[in-house]
Amino acid sequence: MEAHLRLSTAPFPVISFGTGSLVRLPGPSISQPNVYNFNSTSYAQMYEELFSKDERLYRNNGLLNMLDRNRNLKWGPERFQDWVPGQPRVDHVSKGEKGALGTEGGIVDVIITCEERCWDAVVDDLMNKDKGSSTTVNRPVHVFNVDIKDNHEEALVGGKAILDLANRLNDAAAQERKANGLHGWENGTGAARQSFDERVPEILAEWQEKWPTLPALWTLAWL
Amino acid sequence: MAQSTDSHLVDQIAQLNAARNLVLGDAAFYPQIVNGVLPIIGARARGELRRWGAEFLAETFASPAFDSAPKEQLATNVLQSLRDTLELPEEDTVTLKYIVQTIASLYPLVFRHIINHPEDSAAWDNITAIKQDILRRWDSFPYPVKICCIKFVQRVVQVQTHGLIADPRRPDQNETSLAIVPKNHALLSLPNLEAEASGLLDRLLSVFQEDSSDPLLVNATLNSLAVLIRTRQSVGNKIINAVMNFIPAKQVRPPITPTTRVAVKSMERTARSLMINIMKRNNSHPLTSKMQQYIERLLQSRLEPVDEPSRKRGLPIEPPDGLDQFKRARLDAETPPLLKVPPLPPGPISYAQLYTLTNDAGLSNFDVKQLPADLLVKIVVPVLGRVDPSSMHQAVEAIRMRYETLKKQQAAQAPVPAADEEDDDYEPEYQPMDASAPTAAPEDTASTELADIEPDLVSLGPFVLPQPPPLTENEAAEIGRGAVGRVFGMLASSEVTPAPAKGKGQQHLGFGRLAGSTFDRDAWVTVLTRLATRAPAGLEAGSKKSAEDSKRPAAISDSIRETLYRYILEDFRGRVNVGITWLNEEWYNDRIQMQFVASLRTEDDEEASVSLHYDHWALKLLDGFLPYLDSRDTKIFIRFLSEIPDVTIPITKRVASLAKDPERVNLCVQSLLYLIMFRPPAREICLNALEDVYQTYEESRPAAGKILARWRPQTSDQQQQQQPPPPPPPQPLEQPAL
Repeated sequence: MEAHLRLSTAPFPVISFGTGSLVRLPGPSISQPNVYNFNSTSYAQMYEELFSKDERLYRNNGLLNMLDRNRNLKWGPERFQDWVPGQPRVDHVSKGEKGALGTEGGIVDVIITCEERCWDAVVDDLMNKDKGSSTTVNRPVHVFNVDIKDNHEEALVGGKAILDLANRLNDAAAQERKANGLHGWENGTGAARQSFDERVPEILAEWQEKWPTLPALWTLAWL
Repeated sequence: MAQSTDSHLVDQIAQLNAARNLVLGDAAFYPQIVNGVLPIIGARARGELRRWGAEFLAETFASPAFDSAPKEQLATNVLQSLRDTLELPEEDTVTLKYIVQTIASLYPLVFRHIINHPEDSAAWDNITAIKQDILRRWDSFPYPVKICCIKFVQRVVQVQTHGLIADPRRPDQNETSLAIVPKNHALLSLPNLEAEASGLLDRLLSVFQEDSSDPLLVNATLNSLAVLIRTRQSVGNKIINAVMNFIPAKQVRPPITPTTRVAVKSMERTARSLMINIMKRNNSHPLTSKMQQYIERLLQSRLEPVDEPSRKRGLPIEPPDGLDQFKRARLDAETPPLLKVPPLPPGPISYAQLYTLTNDAGLSNFDVKQLPADLLVKIVVPVLGRVDPSSMHQAVEAIRMRYETLKKQQAAQAPVPAADEEDDDYEPEYQPMDASAPTAAPEDTASTELADIEPDLVSLGPFVLPQPPPLTENEAAEIGRGAVGRVFGMLASSEVTPAPAKGKGQQHLGFGRLAGSTFDRDAWVTVLTRLATRAPAGLEAGSKKSAEDSKRPAAISDSIRETLYRYILEDFRGRVNVGITWLNEEWYNDRIQMQFVASLRTEDDEEASVSLHYDHWALKLLDGFLPYLDSRDTKIFIRFLSEIPDVTIPITKRVASLAKDPERVNLCVQSLLYLIMFRPPAREICLNALEDVYQTYEESRPAAGKILARWRPQTSDQQQQQQPPPPPPPQPLEQPAL
């Protein structure tokens, strides 16, 4: 969600997801996490609940702070596996969720995960989303993983790194658009020009040199 | 002119966007809107509009919100427009990309439409022409379009192979495939279509055979294959085999750039993901074991050429915090394969057996120590990094279970040989190893090596502290007194606790106990008394004569005695124990010293070379507390007298002197009576003392008389006859001491 904040502030169109079966937040002990359902619980509800449960505890471990940030970003957590690419998200735009502008078609160009197992889950789920029916979007999507430890401090660094990656990708895409030219696009044939897609491994390698502590992973999958 | 067309264009795009927002809000408007915009975005429109149109169509036919029946109808409407645009001489990559995407979505729809409407040859002509055009230009398309072609071809293969018929009664529910094409279809020739699909699949899979694999094309292909393997059994194995021959790292040619690394890693991981996806969907897949092997090969191959340098860059290997682990473990969507734990062989178990989780005899007999350490590190570190946390957890749990059962067995089996040496070694070492890993063998060697190396790193050669300057005698004595003071401090601080524990402790500790082993107050008392008596005994005896001793400033032993003496007097009722212990020690020490000196003494007959302490200190202590005794202290006093090792005449005289005080006559008489009755060696001197008391002090006569009548009938008779008693000469002398 830190990345959601960063990217949507940039501003990029952003949708954020979890890949687990449930939303699990730390509770009073390791064996008593606070568990919520995806797609049906809002961040505001979670905030209120934890606030009334033990304000001091959840203030100190940063959860309330985090939920407060999240409830200002979007309504509630969504689960990746329940996402139907191409399903319009006009309602998210009208709710004023940050980063929703540009995602109204329910389509993304890039997916960034923050943990390898999430990357695995996403790649796996994208393979499963292809049911062979005509509802598949048939659109390529670059899936990246930026390995970030799940704590508040690392999230800040990771959010920065993800924004950096997004900026690099966006620059490359902008260059491609410029080369193809919205107005003068008929002038060139584009065959000799390196496309955005081609440059992705290179961009990631450069990015990785800059962020050596956040091991990255990438693939080209299908929505 | 240009300006006005530009502003006109901007308006148009804005209108189109408004239309798009409308259908995004309600998919029911799609047919209306699409038919409405088709003329605007057609092949004769401006590039910008065609591009917008292509993207819009791609979105339209991919939209899950848009029902498939009207979608199918609409599909045939847009074919002509798409074909025209595709066949335009100019190529706009973006437009082409969206067109190919649209066709990939459209193809199954149109195919199904043709199946149901064999008369619509125009649609079939269009879609065939489009298909041929795309396939012909596939290799020459710009990259982004090429990628989209992969998906399109996958769709074609999927449609033009035999799928499963889920429910023959409801053909509309079935997936679009050759299986639902009637054999005598006017337009669709099954063998031709199937042959085409087979050829296309080969072309699709050829990406894995090329010498220098392009990560984009490979990944795009890999990610599109899962659905084919899943739903098309006829080609599934062919695809899997093709993928399994593909080892990305083998195709790497130097120089290895960071980009190559990213590329190879991504291909390996995507191939792995595909295999896992298949195995998860179908646990009993006939190729499962081969796929497992393939995944392992991928892992091994990547270690060498590509991954090595990236490892050197140093991944952060800090373990995530406990909470994370917990959270992630539960979150994990994958269900890890269950670890098979072979049972332990019967009989005694070795460490190796305990930690072995494999049934492979070759593997379990392999001695890891044969490998050089650096190679081991190369292998173990990446392997550990890639170990599936849940498998790891399972393995650790398995070992734990084994250990627990083993422990129970051992406890039940042999309580006596449990103290066995082997077992002793076993337990303390066990826990930390248990926490490590099932791969304990390599780790173990590594850690012992580490332990071997470390001292070398630290030691800087021998270092000898310079000798401290010798202490002067005074300094030594001062420090000695300081030490004694500290021990008394211990005595004071541990004073509170022992009271309840003491009684118990004495019951438990028998004759065999070791003095001073309990570290309570008694122990410190023992330490102190021995410190005062035995420890310096030889030293003092060795140094000349007792005459000289007296001149010397108080020796350390005397200062201890002095302190002990004062310590006891501070509360003699409570500390009479200490006094008794001390005096016993003194007496014993005197004996030992006398024996020792006697054994040394040969011909030079020097007399009394031992300085004796018992008499002196016993009297001093007695003198110290006698003035404070009152008539109620009978018990304490009697106890003292009965337990000190030696009752001497001076002591009895001190006791007798108590009778001077009329209040303490009874105390005096009873103490003496006790000694007379229960201390035979001292009986005579006590009787003498009692006699003196009887004769000297009037008040004692009733009590003392009875005792004397019983124990010395003759004297008591005598005394009754000759009244003048022989005055005891020492008594007046001793009185000042009182």
